[in-house]
This record gives sequence, C-alpha cells and structure tokens, in this order.
Amino acid sequence: MATEIKLPRLGQGMEAGTIVKWLKSEGERVAKGEPLYELDTDKVTQEVEADASGVLLKIAVAEGEVPVGQTIAVIGEQGEEVSVPSPEPEQKRAADEEADSSGEKPARAPAREDERERGRQASTDGATELRGPSRANGRIKASPLARRIARERGIDLADVAGTGPDGRVVAEDVERAAASGPPVAAPPPPPEAVPQEVVVEQLTSMRKTIARRLTEAWQAPVFQLGVEVDMERAQAVRSKLVELHGEGAKPTLSDLLTKVCAAALMRHRALNALYRGDAIELHPTANVGIAVAIPNGLVVPVIQSAERLSVAEIANARAALVERARGGSLQQGDLDGGTFTISNLGMFGIQRFVAVLNPPQAAILAVGSVEDKVVAVSGRAAVRPRLELTLTCDHRAVDGAAGAQFLTTVKQFLEEPGLAL
Amino acid sequence: MAELSYREAVRDALTSAMRQDDDVFVMGEDIAEMGGSMGVTQGMVDEFGPERVRNTPISEMALAGAAIGAAIQGMRPVAEIMYEDFLTLATEQIVNQAAKHRYMSGGQVTVPVTFRTQGGSGWSPGAQHAQQLEAWFVHIPGLKVVFASTPTDVRGLLWSAIYDDNPVVFFEHRTLYGVKEEVPEELEPIPIGKARVHREGEDVTVIATGRLVHEALAAAEQAAESGVSVEVVDPRTLQPLDEDALIASVKKTNRCVVAHEAVTRMGFGAEVAAVIQYGAFDWLDAPVERVGAKFTPLPFAPIMEEWCVPHANDVLAAINRTVGRNGN
Repeated sequence: MATEIKLPRLGQGMEAGTIVKWLKSEGERVAKGEPLYELDTDKVTQEVEADASGVLLKIAVAEGEVPVGQTIAVIGEQGEEVSVPSPEPEQKRAADEEADSSGEKPARAPAREDERERGRQASTDGATELRGPSRANGRIKASPLARRIARERGIDLADVAGTGPDGRVVAEDVERAAASGPPVAAPPPPPEAVPQEVVVEQLTSMRKTIARRLTEAWQAPVFQLGVEVDMERAQAVRSKLVELHGEGAKPTLSDLLTKVCAAALMRHRALNALYRGDAIELHPTANVGIAVAIPNGLVVPVIQSAERLSVAEIANARAALVERARGGSLQQGDLDGGTFTISNLGMFGIQRFVAVLNPPQAAILAVGSVEDKVVAVSGRAAVRPRLELTLTCDHRAVDGAAGAQFLTTVKQFLEEPGLAL
Repeated sequence: MAELSYREAVRDALTSAMRQDDDVFVMGEDIAEMGGSMGVTQGMVDEFGPERVRNTPISEMALAGAAIGAAIQGMRPVAEIMYEDFLTLATEQIVNQAAKHRYMSGGQVTVPVTFRTQGGSGWSPGAQHAQQLEAWFVHIPGLKVVFASTPTDVRGLLWSAIYDDNPVVFFEHRTLYGVKEEVPEELEPIPIGKARVHREGEDVTVIATGRLVHEALAAAEQAAESGVSVEVVDPRTLQPLDEDALIASVKKTNRCVVAHEAVTRMGFGAEVAAVIQYGAFDWLDAPVERVGAKFTPLPFAPIMEEWCVPHANDVLAAINRTVGRNGN
C-alpha cells in the first residue's frame, strides 16, 4: 500500500511551504526518518524526514510553493501503481491575475502556458469566491474579448460581475468595471529596460514573510518609550560571568538583557502578552525572541522560559540558536511561542533606534550601544557607561503606564542586577 | 443600369462569354431546346446552335468527364449539373480527375472547367433534390467553389469562374432564380476569393451564404428595430475563402453568426467558425453561433421542410443569443 507524503504543518499558522529540493530521487529506497526533502517555510528552511519506508515512487511537486496537506510524493513498493492528484504549486502567487478560458488540461501544464496556468490558479483562490462573476468548477466564465480588455487594463476578472448568458463576463462588463472601479495600476512595464546597475532579486519566502508581517505590524497603533540606563554594574556582572563561564558559551550583554527582561516581564505580565484581535493573551512564561540577522534576512529564534534560566543557560541556548540560524538549520520549534522580542543593534554602534513590533507580541525592546557619557552623579560630572533602550508597545494591548513601569523595572535591574534575583 | 433576375444574370454571363470567346460552350441535360430544368439556358441554342449548347445523355459522370476532357484540350466548358444532389454521380470525375490533373501533371495540364449546379429547399422537392452539398467540394484541394447569392454577384463570379484556369464548382440556389436586382450595364467580373459586405453593422457579424444571405439581411432589419446593429457578409467564394475580410468584420463587431442552408453538422459554417475563433479569438465576446438545417434528410411535406431549414427568425435568434438577449 503506497503512502502519500503530504506537506506537513510544521508550526501554528503555517499555511504553505516551498519545496527547495529533494534529497532522494524517484525510484530510490527511503527509510522512515531519513531526510527526504528540504522545505522553506515562512520562518525557516529545514530538512523533512520521510514518514514511511519504501521506494520513493513519485515526486509530485519537484519544487515550489505548496499548501499544507497537499500530496507532494508517494512512497510505496517497487512497481506499485500510483496516481497523484494534479499538483498546483505556488497556488497563491497569482490571485490577482486574470482567469483563463481553457477547458480541461493535463495534470502538469507546460511552462509556456504560464499565463493560462496562473489564470487557472487565480480562479481557484478561495478569497475571490466572495463576489464576482459566474464560475464553473472554480473557473471564471468570460469571453475572450473580455479577457483581453481585462488583461490590457490590469483588471481582475474576479472583481467583475458578468451579465452575459450564464453570468459570463463580456466586454461591456469589464468596461463598466474599468469605468466605475478604483483606479487600476497599469500593467507593469516590460522588464528589458532595466539598467545594468539594478539587481532584481525575487522575494524569497522569508522576505515575503518579513514584508507581510511587518506591513501587518505597521497597522498597529504603537507608542515608544525611552530610557537611558547606567550600565556600570551590569558590565561588572557580565565580566564576572565571563570569567566563570568555563565550557559554556561566553555570556554577552544581550544574554544579561534577556535575563533581565524575562524577570521584568514576570513582574509586569501585561507586557508578556499577545494581541489576538478579540482578546489579549497574558502568558505565564517569558519566551524571549532575539532578532538575529542572517545573510538573506532576519529570524527571531526564541529562548523559552528565560525567566527560569540562569544567564549562563541563556548564553548556551542563545549560542545554539544563533548558530542554527546562521547555518540555516533552525527548526520550527526554535521559532514558535515567543512572547516578547529583543532587538539589539548596539554591536553596530547604533545608539538608539525604534524597533517595529513583532506581532502578535505586544512589545519589543530596541537596544542601542553602550557609550561612555558624561553624566551627573551625586551632583558631580562623571563618565559612565550608558545604554539607551527604546520600548515599542502595541497600544491595543498595552497602555503607557504599564509600559513605563516595565521599562523602569528593566532599568533598575540593569543598574542593580541583584534586584532581578 | 439594367434590372436582371438571378436566372437572367447567369444566362447573361454565359452568353457574354460565348459571344466573346469561341472556346466557351455549355453542356448539360435538356439545356438546349428545353432551356434547362430551371430555364437558365432558355433561348441560347437559338443564338449559338447545338454545337455550343449541347444536350448530353442523362449521365452526370459522362458529361462531367467529357467537360473535363474538353477543358484539358483547351476549351472553357460550362457543364450544368441539373441538381447538386446529382453531383454525387459526377464526384469521381470532379474530385479524382478535375481537381487532380493540374497538380499531378506538374502544371502541364490545366482544367478550366466550370460545373454549374443548383439546389436548395423552399419548394418541396424532397430529400433527393434539395440538398446543399457545397461543403463536400470545399474539402477538396484543387477545386474552387463559388456560391453566389445575388444577380450581380452570380453574373460577375460566373464570368470569373469560366475564365479561371482551375475547375470551379459553381453553386446557384433554386429559390434565388427569380430574385431581381439592378446590375451594372456592362458585365463586371468579380474576382474569386473576395467577400462582400452587404450591410454594415456594429454589434454582430452574420456570415451567410446563398439563400441565407437574404434571410440574414431580413434578420438584420428586425434586429435593428431592437437596437442591434448587424453586419452581413457573404464570402461568395467558399474556396478560396476571404478569411481576412471575415476576421476583420468580426474584430469590429466582436460577435459572429454563421448561416447557411446546409445542415449545420460539418457544414461550411464549421470551417468559418474555426477561422473566426482562431483569427479573432481575443476579439470574441460571445461564442460563434451556427445556423443551418437540422440534421435530417429533407422532408417532402412543405411544413416539415420549412421547419427543418433555417429562416430569418433562426438567424435573428442566433444574433440575439450572441448579444445576450433571449430573443424571439
């Protein structure tokens, strides 16, 4: 009995993944648990293991984006007959493209039928079902002329109500939609005029996710709070920890910040929150995400329950996560469950900045560089190491006073680390 | 300008050519003293004599073969096949001989023969005397096929058929012989392969042949009353086909109806529909509609015959379907 290999859901909210490459070829023997293919999800690229033993009879999707649950391969015994439903990779990509007019087609469309393919996919996109023209089996009925006009004017046929026989979209409908609808962007100019110095990089799955999530974040009503912290004691503690660290990872200021923030979050649970639209979740553990720059983007691996860890344990956990992040081998579990995020650009000499929220988390802390500054200490000018912290809060979940109390606690803990015990 | 009936126009073309050119002659069953079963050649034997207006035995195969032989020998014969239903008897000669000799001889031989024939319903002739078989011959490389619908066209096109160096099967319609029209005083040859726009319109193109040209014009009149502007185009020559003119018209109107009296299935209209969908695909706002006879041998009973073959109201219904109206 052949086993259909379906695209797994590797984390909450995962809707699709991009198959990067197969590590086994058709006809090759596979043991359960062996790495089978590489998958690029919103958050991470990882190897996925085979969930059955046997012969890889069929690779249904060689590469490209696939929705969760779609059959991507079949494992069975040599010589077994397999039939795989026709794959529709990158289904979501072209939702704004027009639909096609063709009838039934073979399971895999040749590449030259790109437009037709995109159109077919567009019409199967559930989001367009809400309104618009008549469709049979998910296809939009429109005359060839209507399609041409829609194509030329960049109109989505899914948005046009058809008045022809059986609700077919005819040219007049498209023209009416063009006249009444919102201004439509002209179709993009042909790409040949690109000057040499412009490098066009198609968005990777990760960049698309970054774009989508940060655009989403930008909608949130946020406010920022800033404090300057005296780091003399914190630096002394850190030096001591470094001296004592032994075989583990060398603790950094970031690790100390993680610990301090976790402790502060436990005292100010309003900040350890996720905003869910109709509810605010206050979480019992401080799962602190740390923003890590990697060559093709940014990931935020999470140190789970940081409030229970020592700084040394945090350093070890952080070092392992960063190594996996830079090596591209983060697992979905490394990225899930964050309740708060720290973004530190101090190592680049940035003195202060404003971080963009990491939804659904209610707050994010931006950390600058430690700078020696002349400050008044007990009525006298003194040179002290100072650090600027900027807290961004989602005002839908957190009010100014709560944010201020949290940030004040962080400041106190850094200035007198013993208080965080 | 002179007014000629379609019948007189055919006779005028034959007579004019025979007066001008000794190589042109006509032959057929009972075409001399009797003047042909449709009266087309009436009186011609008096002017040209029995050598050039020749009665033949009642054998379509024999007369077609004789005409082809004469053509190969340099004459320009016009053979009359009394009913196009009887073309079936001459098909061996027309399809296997006339259509092939120029090609198979490497151009050493030409076959400038014209087979005039007529057919069509409308007078209850029964299943064996009213068929419309033009599609059979359009399918044969080596033949030209003409189907004229007006006195002017039949005169000018027959002239061109006679002087074409290839075999031409020339269809006339029984019910059109009495149709009268002002025609140019001087016979003006009409080139083979040129369509004619009978009526200009904006909303639908009706591509019609033979009797259906007139039905289409009547339907266009009615459609205009409800605000639908119909263009009526007659290809006139079915082979070669003036594809450019047909496509240009549909690109203008975005909708197309093809109409002929022959049965719809595998009819000439099927080819036209294919030409249009390919040439004007991105201009089509509705499926190409086909109008033709129901797929049945033609009944003898007049009311049944009437029901089986298309009329103006059928064309109008097709027009209304293309513009998305549930017409009458």
